[in-house]
Amino acid sequence: MAEPTLPLTPPPALHFEHASVAYGRTPVVEAVHGDVHPGEAVALIGPNGAGKSTLIKAVLGLVPVVGGRITVLGRAPAQARRDVAYIPQADTLDPEFPVSAGQVVLMGRYRRIGWVRRPGRADRRAAAEALDAVGLADKAGDRFGTLSGGQRQRVLLARAIAQLPLLLLLDEPFNGVDAVSQDALLDALGSLRAGGAAVVVSTHDLALAHLACDEVCLLNRHQFAFGPTAQALTPTLLRAAYGGHALVTDDVVVAQ
Amino acid sequence: MLYRLLVEPFGFPFMARALTEAMLLGVLGGVVSVAVVLRRFAFVSDALTHTVFPGVVIGFMVAGAGGIVWGALVFAVFSAVLLTVLSSNRRVTEDATLAILLTGFFSVGVVLVSRRSSYTADLTAFLFGRILTVDRREILETAVVTVLVLAVLAVLGKELLLRAFDPDGSAALGYRVGLLDLALNVMVALVVVAAVKAVGTLLVIALLVVPAAAARLLTDRLALLVGASVLVGVLGGWLGLAVSYHASVYYGLRLASGATVVLALVALYAVAFAVGSARRMVSHHAPAAERA
Amino acid sequence: MNVLAEGYARRALVEVLLVGGLCGVVGVHVVLRRLSFFTMSMTHATFPGIVLAALLGLNLYLGAGLFGVLLVLAVAWLWSRPGANESSVVGVVLSAGFALGVLLLSAQSGFTKDLSAYLVGSVLTVQPADLVVTAGVGAAVLLLLATLRKELVLGAFDRGGLRALGYPAALLDIVLLLAIEATVVSAVPAVGVILSVALIVAPAATARLWTDRLATMTVVAVGVGAVSGVVGLVISQQARVSAGAAIVLVACGCFALSWLGAPRYGMVHRLLLRRRMVFA
Repeated sequence: MAEPTLPLTPPPALHFEHASVAYGRTPVVEAVHGDVHPGEAVALIGPNGAGKSTLIKAVLGLVPVVGGRITVLGRAPAQARRDVAYIPQADTLDPEFPVSAGQVVLMGRYRRIGWVRRPGRADRRAAAEALDAVGLADKAGDRFGTLSGGQRQRVLLARAIAQLPLLLLLDEPFNGVDAVSQDALLDALGSLRAGGAAVVVSTHDLALAHLACDEVCLLNRHQFAFGPTAQALTPTLLRAAYGGHALVTDDVVVAQ
Repeated sequence: MLYRLLVEPFGFPFMARALTEAMLLGVLGGVVSVAVVLRRFAFVSDALTHTVFPGVVIGFMVAGAGGIVWGALVFAVFSAVLLTVLSSNRRVTEDATLAILLTGFFSVGVVLVSRRSSYTADLTAFLFGRILTVDRREILETAVVTVLVLAVLAVLGKELLLRAFDPDGSAALGYRVGLLDLALNVMVALVVVAAVKAVGTLLVIALLVVPAAAARLLTDRLALLVGASVLVGVLGGWLGLAVSYHASVYYGLRLASGATVVLALVALYAVAFAVGSARRMVSHHAPAAERA
Repeated sequence: MNVLAEGYARRALVEVLLVGGLCGVVGVHVVLRRLSFFTMSMTHATFPGIVLAALLGLNLYLGAGLFGVLLVLAVAWLWSRPGANESSVVGVVLSAGFALGVLLLSAQSGFTKDLSAYLVGSVLTVQPADLVVTAGVGAAVLLLLATLRKELVLGAFDRGGLRALGYPAALLDIVLLLAIEATVVSAVPAVGVILSVALIVAPAATARLWTDRLATMTVVAVGVGAVSGVVGLVISQQARVSAGAAIVLVACGCFALSWLGAPRYGMVHRLLLRRRMVFA
């Protein structure tokens, strides 16, 4: 059965082909299969220990793919890093470190600036615009650690924006983030998508996945579903993925 | 009075040379200590200072006083590589491995030294340095190392900053974190080599930690941090030498110059601590308008 | 061994057995709580206390011990400040203490042969009175650690949990730090300021590579510590090298061999396992 192909569809930004990922011998995540197209947002959903972070690291080329294939922007993961932005969880970073928010955002330009050379005017402008895009233009001079959790997460997103990426990978960006920051993050992500970037967000907030993402990849050590949100997050699938730890009431699903 | 303490001693050529060496080391230590403090690398740096010791001894045994620097260099680079590589076995925590490594190497040095008859004299020179006997060649060597390290930091500065702040992020951007770490370890090793004649292997750790630790108590901003750290390093050297001279000439007390330099650095740290604490107390009482 | 028949040698033997054993027990806590750098700093910072005690003719434990208590409290206080960079604090204290010791020694008419005794120990000059004090201090520390064993272990793995249960976690920490300092003071005459950290850490780290169980780990650590002491002493007599250095090299050697060859956690075994996986 031939799948209909539209000649004008751009190639996927991220393509998983029955991919399995492992640190050593035992695969951490298996059988991931699906595409993320430019302008789309896909949520990686699964309980703790499901392998979401590991999968993200594999997309960055930092964890080996032991089965199948992962193609990033048409290339092998390690080759595509320049155009891929990684946004870690803000609380993994040392709050005492003497860097300002502005300096953190500027770090996203380093690859563009290259070795030896210093940031130029264009770089500083890009960093300022990126901070503005997340609503923190006035915090550029503040030390990173003095900002709230949500603000720090936004600064990290600004860092990614400054990188002008084609694909963004966010690792649990909404954990412990206040409502204002959450809105700011979603707005910024929306603008990035409108600009053609693809977004992958790992989260266990199902409501957010419904709200912000087109598709969902439901995982727990292996893939349970990869498709449009409503189809992938059925109660049955959720119960299977969360091993019975999902509470289902009518349309509202709460995962523990 | 102050003139007598701070300027007069350096009229003598040997004191002037010692001061030049101390100030160069102050700049070198000040800059590198920022990296050491930000990376929380004080223990790794301490380990490097101890692993260099057998190199110093062997260099001396093979080629006399001139051989010290080369022996130190070989062992320093070797240790830097070894330390960078050694975190593969997570079973025993890194810091236990470091402690064992540094004492093991140090013991080798002690064993080698203990077989010689001039045990104590050699030991003191290696361990605590003899800054008052530095000659022009040694000052030149220190200057070369200083320029080299400053150049490397100018080139790699922003990448080292990123790696220190966000190792995962720098790996994600494609930087080889292991190589950046190696670069830092080699730079620390070079500082140890440069300082070995002046302050000895055991006191150089102060130069690698105290200046930036003091500066960090005073400022949050990286550029100021580097500047303050260099200032502390240079001032410490100057004050330490002045005190050592003064005690010797006016009070008949022979105080090891390496030790007085270190204690001067620590005194500056104490001052920074007091100032930092006072500022914090004042800002707590000030209106919170700034902290919007 | 005829060598060990002499009085001084026998005293030295008893000293290394006592110290090696004590260091093994305390070392387990140091390794579990990642306090190796702190211990290193204590060994260096206690140096001036030891010099002062010698200069003033005070008993070692009195002089150095008092100094050590102040030191531990100072470090604990500095660590508790907001925004404290722990490793830098430890580095500053280490530098300050050591430089102070060097200063005191040099002021006392320059460096004498005493220096090497301080730095790398002089176990062969230990007196019967010293042995009694070492044994006493050792017994006190061991009793303390045995009594507080389960609390200390819980605190090592889950400090929050310890506090939640109502234990004064900070106080327990300080008690442990004081116990470590007491051990340092007892180890320094045997192996000196710089090397004593090895006798504390290496046997316990070696034990860690062989077993998961705390009780076994403690026994192995004590064994390795005591054996290192004896073997090191013998080697130093035969090869006529510094006793402290020889003892430490034996202890480090045990660790190195275990790091390579221990079943399950040694390097060789893990490499073989990986090789087998590839061909599986």
